[in-house]
Amino acid sequence: MNRILALSWLTFKEGIRDRALMGICIIGLVMLFATIIFTGVFGYDLGKVLVDLNLSTIAFAGLLLTFFVNINLMAKDIDKRTIYCVLSKPLSRTEYIIGKYLGLILLVFIALFILLMVSSGIIWFVKSFYAQIYFKNFSWACFLQACFYEILMFFVLNAVVIFFSSISTSSFLVLLFTIATYITGQTIEEVMQFFKKEAMAEQLPQINQWIIDIAQYIFPNFSAFDIKTLASHGKFLPMEHTMALIGYSAIYTILLLFFASLIFNKREIT
Amino acid sequence: MNVDFEQINKSFISSFTRKKVHAVIDLNLSVKSGEIFGIVGPNGAGKSTLLKMVLGFIKYDSGSISIAGKSPMEPETRINMGYLPENPYYYDHLSAEDLMKFSATTSGMNKKNIQPSIDHLLKIMNLEHARKRHLRTYSKGMTQRAGICFALVHDPDLIIFDEPMSGLDPLGRKLVVDLVLDLKEKGKTIIFCSHILNDIERLCDRIAIMDKGRLKKMLNREQFFSEQDKNIKKGTSWLEKIFIDTVENRVEQ
Repeated sequence: MNRILALSWLTFKEGIRDRALMGICIIGLVMLFATIIFTGVFGYDLGKVLVDLNLSTIAFAGLLLTFFVNINLMAKDIDKRTIYCVLSKPLSRTEYIIGKYLGLILLVFIALFILLMVSSGIIWFVKSFYAQIYFKNFSWACFLQACFYEILMFFVLNAVVIFFSSISTSSFLVLLFTIATYITGQTIEEVMQFFKKEAMAEQLPQINQWIIDIAQYIFPNFSAFDIKTLASHGKFLPMEHTMALIGYSAIYTILLLFFASLIFNKREIT
Repeated sequence: MNVDFEQINKSFISSFTRKKVHAVIDLNLSVKSGEIFGIVGPNGAGKSTLLKMVLGFIKYDSGSISIAGKSPMEPETRINMGYLPENPYYYDHLSAEDLMKFSATTSGMNKKNIQPSIDHLLKIMNLEHARKRHLRTYSKGMTQRAGICFALVHDPDLIIFDEPMSGLDPLGRKLVVDLVLDLKEKGKTIIFCSHILNDIERLCDRIAIMDKGRLKKMLNREQFFSEQDKNIKKGTSWLEKIFIDTVENRVEQ
């Protein structure tokens, strides 16, 4: 366990000192502060607009962080052969995969947590600035629940990064595959619902239906983590839903890390 | 720490032509505990492949490698090993100290011994002034010396140096030579891979000349001295002569 923690700390340190991370955080902070101005432009439902904009900014920053910092942190190990220094230590390949994953999610968690703190401060400030009638649907619990769901989504997305990094030696391909998975994961539920409509289902060949069914199980359903609209309307999801989503994320992540480790164990580090 | 290679074969599939390329062929070798074992050979001779198999980075197709009776594929085997890769590249935003702490922790070193060991090595390698600096600001020679610190911080019994002198200035080379001799005195086993034949000649107890994946010649210390005496008079390096003869033989064949 010490070895895994040492590697995750090393990965976290390398990531936190990356200037790209600083840039992403600055972009995130600027966007969050801009929500103060944007919210004032709207004449109604200020609470809804505020929550929507803040959650979107946090999600955007998380995506930038995952796509441009975390993928780079993984790919650099193979590209620049820094992996030699890690694997020359008594670490198994599985420990390497877990250590790297923990380092990446710690980085995401810390960065998003800071943005969440700033975001909460901004919401508190804007709320105190305008009449409370504009915020009748606003609920801190809903806002925090939506943030928690977003962070959970990034835990799964970073497992996707690890999985593709174990297959490919090119950081560009890892980026491409991860973006494709993210887009598919965000839209798969809608596509499924569209095709499963009665009229559509009758026209669709059986094979296509199978493909959609299989895709539904293979790709992570990222849209399930996106509850921005509900949060902005002050709708709190029951704890059972949250627990089910935590379970889904944990199973999906463990499976991805398991397969990544299987592949990586077979891989030759030349 | 003995390292034994028995009938080792390794081949790769070329990514474009899908042809099988033999990197190591029928290699039998034994590195004895406490000796400095040099491996020389032209580019593509299979030296680095051999070292990577010892470290478990790549798997051999057939044969066996035993490191003090253990398989290189078991992570625990590497607890007592230190490795300096050829052209080492480390994490840009970490310092030499961060890197050494990682090396010591993962090798299971006692916490209270970590800092003294780091201080001692940084002093020997003349990196004390740059201990907190990010590695991306290091020169090539400094990175090489940081790599040596990384490999040695946990006081391993088996040390693998792949081109340790590359990128070092004469002062840096002297530092490394002194260090290697000091390690030998402490009874460490060192596998030393280099293109700089002078260093190999000066430091190694035994030398293996590899070419095209095969072990072509094995020389020991006694042979060095007798050959050296003859060749110094002629003003040539004996190892250079033997090396060129061995490789030229291959070309003629």
